[in-house]
Amino acid sequence: MLLVAPAVLLLVLFTFAPAVYAFVLSVLKVQVTGGLLGTSTAQVFAGFENYVDTLADPEFWDSLGRMLIIAVIGVPATLFFATLFALCLDANRARLTGIWRLAIFLPYAVPGVIASLLWGFLYLPATSPIGGQFIDYFGNTGIFFAVANVATWGVIGFNMVVLFTAVRAIPKEIFDAAQIDGASELQIALRIKLPMIAPALSMVALFSVIGALQLFNEPTTLKPLTNAISSTWVPLMRVYSDAFVNNNIYGGAASAFTLLVMTVAATVLVNVIGNRISKRSAR
Amino acid sequence: MTRRTRSLLGAVAAVTVAAAALTGCSSGNNSTDSASSGGVVHLTFTNWDNGMQTLVNTWNKENPKIQVKLIKPSGTGYTLYNKLITDNSAGTNPDLTEVEYQALPMMVSNKVVVPIDKYVTNLSNFSKSTLSQVQFEGKTYGVPQNVCPLVFFYRKDLLAKDGITTPPATWDEFAKDAAIVHKANPKQYLMNFDASSPEWFAGLAQQAGANWWTTSGDTWSVNIDDAATQKVASYWQNLLDQGVIAPGPSWSTQWNTDMNSGNILGWVSGQWAPNQLPTIAPDTAGDWVAAPVPAWTAGDQTIGTWGGEVEAVTANSKHPAEAAKFANWMNNTKEGINLLIKNVQVFPAAQKYQSLPALQTPPPFMKNQPDYNTLMKQLASNVRGFDIWGPNANITFNSYSDAFGKAVQNHTSFVDALKTVQTDTVSDMKKTGYKVK
Repeated sequence: MLLVAPAVLLLVLFTFAPAVYAFVLSVLKVQVTGGLLGTSTAQVFAGFENYVDTLADPEFWDSLGRMLIIAVIGVPATLFFATLFALCLDANRARLTGIWRLAIFLPYAVPGVIASLLWGFLYLPATSPIGGQFIDYFGNTGIFFAVANVATWGVIGFNMVVLFTAVRAIPKEIFDAAQIDGASELQIALRIKLPMIAPALSMVALFSVIGALQLFNEPTTLKPLTNAISSTWVPLMRVYSDAFVNNNIYGGAASAFTLLVMTVAATVLVNVIGNRISKRSAR
Repeated sequence: MTRRTRSLLGAVAAVTVAAAALTGCSSGNNSTDSASSGGVVHLTFTNWDNGMQTLVNTWNKENPKIQVKLIKPSGTGYTLYNKLITDNSAGTNPDLTEVEYQALPMMVSNKVVVPIDKYVTNLSNFSKSTLSQVQFEGKTYGVPQNVCPLVFFYRKDLLAKDGITTPPATWDEFAKDAAIVHKANPKQYLMNFDASSPEWFAGLAQQAGANWWTTSGDTWSVNIDDAATQKVASYWQNLLDQGVIAPGPSWSTQWNTDMNSGNILGWVSGQWAPNQLPTIAPDTAGDWVAAPVPAWTAGDQTIGTWGGEVEAVTANSKHPAEAAKFANWMNNTKEGINLLIKNVQVFPAAQKYQSLPALQTPPPFMKNQPDYNTLMKQLASNVRGFDIWGPNANITFNSYSDAFGKAVQNHTSFVDALKTVQTDTVSDMKKTGYKVK
């Protein structure tokens, strides 16, 4: 009991306390009374007014929808490419794997804001070397792929390393046995390696889903470049713009708390599904 | 000068500020605690203008008892204002800050700035219309710095190639010129419609005769979707529908590149543009010419504004008298204004000093137009603003960017977008508790 005390203390201080504070803010509001410019402005109790405002706002649900679209594009892409890279690097014939591993991991080391700036240059017609003159990367459909691409590009490397480590942890004897049985490199990858890294895969999926919920840097940095991204384009941008542009920290807190609940629910859900899958494959 | 450097850097800064505000740390801005030591008063001053340091240095040399430290804010415009509001409750604001006119009511209603009537007595150097921007309910909040009329900047060399030798005098001519330019070279546009700059659109509405906010007693009227503003909105939508102006936002990489390479030939901007153009279109110094913004009816000289700012003393300041003294020196004395003209390229708000010899020299970027400031003086005298900026102009502006951005993107009605802005503004005011008619 005593041994976990420091951990519990830190958890309370840095996780629960801010959440509680956000909750307290979310049930308050500013009320202006008297005078043209509200010379007596006070913080008053608002009950669940801010939550009602958030949940009744179609723009909130739209922003969730846009986030989901990006998740639907980005999460499978992340999983697919991370797995593909990991399996390719582990293949017997792969050479210079150290260098390639580093190269694939490198984008993860680039801060999201900088990555978005770089991709912005690549997308814009005036500066694009990848066909921005012909492809409308900031069109109503293109924008989802443009944002998902930046987000995915940044995290594939990290996820690849996780999966690669899992592949490496599989005892080599299993592959030798399979080879003697006549299995090809591809069959080994698909029938042996893939099922055996299922737990790692479900963890990577969890990271990706949480990453999608936290989508903020990429659209925020791309926003000044295009009319396609509004200030409430994804939920976190809405929280930011409520709190720091519209000066409505209380509404922002309510949206943030609503999102927190959703994030926890999504995390639990993905975890349960992931556990089922890995249990089934372990059988 | 107004700086809505809605650039990429701005976005980076925004994220940084968010982080700083969330964790409640406002490094660098809290120095009032270690205020007076040995009779010397130390002031902190937040300002984002290029060239302001020279002015502060001169003051510090001449006033050993009042030492000012200049702080560059991590974000400009509303990023800064919201930080000021947040830091106000923490008591960590600088003594003095720059605030654009349109944000001052918001600063007053959030009690971020204090009246300076007690400390500054020679405000009669300013015109009534300038003072109306900083005086509310009989109190003066800060010393006005500049007047920023809208100006039409254009590439004389490139327009001449298309046979356009005089700048458009009316908006009808502007529309014709836009068509000529785009027809001669499909890559070129006379201008872009800037859905990301609400102050720009507000300035155009001012010129057309709109009055977005009016008051009677302590009751507000909001008229953002009035006939005048609808006229402006429909005009630009028509140009966009014809495809003769570019749809992208200003202050983006794309726009900078187009401005620099000559794909965008004009810019309806503020008086402060020559201080910004060197970063936007560095290769084009001396190629731009300033002209009055086109009029709705030939001969009408009414002009709207874009930006302009006031130096205000904060509620957190422990030395408001000294802070006000510095603000007044900077904006209301010959020496201060001379330095402002030379280093920050302002057109001063103080009428008494609008004919200083320093104004006979154009800004370096406009070196081909020696009478640049004569034009500014003429435009400044024809400026028409709103009666007052709303206490939640930030909501209005954010709503404009979202609604008009969306309308440009989806080719939907600008007039409907205007209605959204009106609704957002009014409902926020009502929710906060302002009396709205």
